[in-house]
Amino acid sequence: MSGLYVHVPFCLTRCGYCDFNAYAGLGHLADRYASALRREAAIAAPAWRGVRVDTVFFGGGTPTTLAPSTLVGILSELKERFEIAPDAEVTVEANPETVLAALERVHGAGSVRRAFAAAGGAGFDNVNVDLIFGTPGETMSSWRRTLEEALALGPAHVSCYALTVEPATPLGRRVAAGVSATPDPDVQAELYEAVVESLGAEGYVHYEVSNWARPGFECRHNLGYWRREAYLGLGAGAHSHRDGRRWWNVRPPMAYLEEVERGALPTGGEERLGAGEATLEEVFLGLRTRTGVPAASVPAGREEPYMAAGLLSRREDRFVLTDRGMFLAGEVATGLVG
Amino acid sequence: MTEPARIRNFCIVAHIDHGKSTLADRLLELTHAVSAREMREQFLDRMDLERERGITIKAAAVRLLFERGDDAYVLNLIDTPGHVDFTYEVSRSLAACEGAILLVDAAQGIEAQTLANYHLIRDAGLAVVAAINKIDLPQADPDRTAAEVAELVGVPVDQVHRVSAKTGAGVPELLDAVIRRVPPPKGNAEDALRALVFDSTYDSYRGVITYVRVVDGTLPTRGRIRFMATGTVTEAEEAGVFAPGPSPVQELSAGEVGYLVAGVKDVHQAKVGDTITLAAQPAAQALPGYREPKPMVWSGLYPAEGGDYADLRDALDRLRLSDAALVYEPESSLALGFGFRCGFLGLLHMDIVKERLEREFDLELIATAPNVEFHVIRGDEVTVVHNPSEMPVPGTYDRVEEPFVVATVVTPSEYLGPVLELCQARRGSLVDMRYLSPERAEVHYLLPLAEIIFDFFDQLKSRTRGYASLDYDHWGYEESDLVRVDVLLHGDAVDAFSAVVHRDKAQQYGRQMAERLRELIPRQLFDVAIQAAIGNRIVARETVKAKRKDVLAKCYGGDITRKRKLLERQKAGKARMRRVGRVDVPQEAFIAALRVDRRSAGGSK
Repeated sequence: MSGLYVHVPFCLTRCGYCDFNAYAGLGHLADRYASALRREAAIAAPAWRGVRVDTVFFGGGTPTTLAPSTLVGILSELKERFEIAPDAEVTVEANPETVLAALERVHGAGSVRRAFAAAGGAGFDNVNVDLIFGTPGETMSSWRRTLEEALALGPAHVSCYALTVEPATPLGRRVAAGVSATPDPDVQAELYEAVVESLGAEGYVHYEVSNWARPGFECRHNLGYWRREAYLGLGAGAHSHRDGRRWWNVRPPMAYLEEVERGALPTGGEERLGAGEATLEEVFLGLRTRTGVPAASVPAGREEPYMAAGLLSRREDRFVLTDRGMFLAGEVATGLVG
Repeated sequence: MTEPARIRNFCIVAHIDHGKSTLADRLLELTHAVSAREMREQFLDRMDLERERGITIKAAAVRLLFERGDDAYVLNLIDTPGHVDFTYEVSRSLAACEGAILLVDAAQGIEAQTLANYHLIRDAGLAVVAAINKIDLPQADPDRTAAEVAELVGVPVDQVHRVSAKTGAGVPELLDAVIRRVPPPKGNAEDALRALVFDSTYDSYRGVITYVRVVDGTLPTRGRIRFMATGTVTEAEEAGVFAPGPSPVQELSAGEVGYLVAGVKDVHQAKVGDTITLAAQPAAQALPGYREPKPMVWSGLYPAEGGDYADLRDALDRLRLSDAALVYEPESSLALGFGFRCGFLGLLHMDIVKERLEREFDLELIATAPNVEFHVIRGDEVTVVHNPSEMPVPGTYDRVEEPFVVATVVTPSEYLGPVLELCQARRGSLVDMRYLSPERAEVHYLLPLAEIIFDFFDQLKSRTRGYASLDYDHWGYEESDLVRVDVLLHGDAVDAFSAVVHRDKAQQYGRQMAERLRELIPRQLFDVAIQAAIGNRIVARETVKAKRKDVLAKCYGGDITRKRKLLERQKAGKARMRRVGRVDVPQEAFIAALRVDRRSAGGSK
């Protein structure tokens, strides 16, 4: 199993909490950037000859800021350069506004419903809804209403993220300055339990810390990350992994463009994982999913306090986090590794 | 050899910042001990920092030559430490003198240290030359201060000298008075040698340098000598005087003051207060007043990193060579690992030792809150307790005694109320109170030393806007209603947080510690109860609620490296925690919880 990730660093506006490699106001670079992506694919592809690609993921940023024809053009290029399986999963992240931009500009829940319907109508058979919870001021009842609205769409996949304050963001600076409140971790934990409970009741499988899906609709691309499979990232700042080597492209879009345009691989840095690093990865990434970690990779006895606290359970020869344990995955992972 | 009739041995005693060092500068100038070219402000203090002729200088005694008419005099100015921690050392320095200049700031008036010092010099039987300083200052009130001093010393007000150490006004007359009023040393150069060790310093090349006052006989530069209290026999290598730099002499005879290098490698072999005699013709009796250093304040010192225990032990062993008052014994703490229970003369001494360990030996230390020595009495049996966690449980003993001090506080009269309130609140009992003048009062209180070492000085300063001064003298042991308060984390006592406090304050202590720890202890996987207990009785309780969230919500986009590094840091932090029962406590929490806001009493000079 292996995947391709394509990073599109453009957004209509910059969200205050987001620390991804994304920029507003660079739309004029779209065509040049798309060409660079295709060129990078051509440069990188020879090294991946003979590797079957099972997933393609357009992420960002907002990939749908690119024209549909541009996205299709990139995908065609990838199909030509790589050995993409016929049943490959292809994913594109979208902002409801960008999906609807060609039709109309409506804000709020209405635009979400319309965009969701449009995606289904266009033939996507697995449409995900991303939700963020635990913003300061959010209450249990408002969050439950959000969940109900989202479920009313009938999505095959739902992601629910606890708001994380990243220091290098406008929100992070407001929190540091004391202007914005810090999300209360206990409130977030309660909201999280509400998700676990209501999505579970609706038949969704909690297959990763922040992800739920109807059986068979799990995101195969993301599972590849958590299972430490090989993937190639294309685009500014995109990350790649293969055989214990992790590397990443230069992050600023202009630097990326310049590297690719002179025919070079735009690699910005790399690391080769030692045994200890590989184990920590295996444990912390594995714990995030329902597959858990092999009991053999945990030094004997380290699991005990977490089993006793009801955060971890043993399933045959593996340790798997409980629903409550999922929200403490960092604590458990650092405790399990020697 | 100088004829005793031409020798005057004296010291200057003053409250901090009343001008002692500046007056010493003028005396050095007036006696041409230092040329104008070499002269710097606070000359003797600065010499401490320097090395000259291979000897680490400490200007504990300086020899001044003064010509008065046709007569030439040798004046030995002997330094006295100014801090209550070193009262015994002060008493030995005073024993080397026949007289003292009592110096009082004409603007500040008499302060607590003035009073304490005056009582010491009077008890030592020294001739007192009273002087007020800084008469040139606009805010000086020479008449009022001279009247206060005259009243204290019991002399007519016109016998109080008025000087400005800064300008030199009145200093020649003061020096003249020292010669007239301070008696020459008694003692017989023909008798068996008896020389008092009144101070010492440690030089890494030459070993211990003792400062001596020859009382009887003659101290040769060569020959075997004996320290009478410790029994050390050694070879004299060099005798000399400070003028003000060290200069060797042929011998030091009765009445003279100087230094002796005698190949002593450890201050414990040549302690302050000991008597030096000749090994071949020993004196029949040592000079009176020798005392072993008595630690008054105890604290556990632990290496911040557990592995540094051996380094700490080596550092203490080295430090002990130059600090005769430092005592220590190994101890172990469930919470802090292996360390040492150390005894100090007082808080200043404790701070000095801790700072030297950290600076000279590059150690990072955790110090437990300082405590006094407790005497637990059962029948005829007395158990000495230096560590609160070793205090037996109530019911297993008859009574507990703790050390008391007589504290002297001098305060502007308007703050008398708050001062008395503070002393009462700290379990004090009033001994004496009187007015130095209508504006200023002196108060004497019997107080537990434990209250003083807590934060008494800070409280006193804040209640009197910095105007009150404090000094104290050790009194002895008295019975108190003391109990041990333990702090429990999830049911397990944290020995480092145990304290012995008065029963009336036990709950308050327990509550404070519990509240403080609630802020400091990170959330765990389970609710952590923080309890304070006297025996089995819980007197305070707080809870650190179980942690419910610790996860990176979003973990894709392929950047696994950054997330892994976050977790690696988290894992490293976990590894540095200390485990108390089932609870992980970061080292910083121990340090913060043990930090008590307090400052040592009195001045530094």
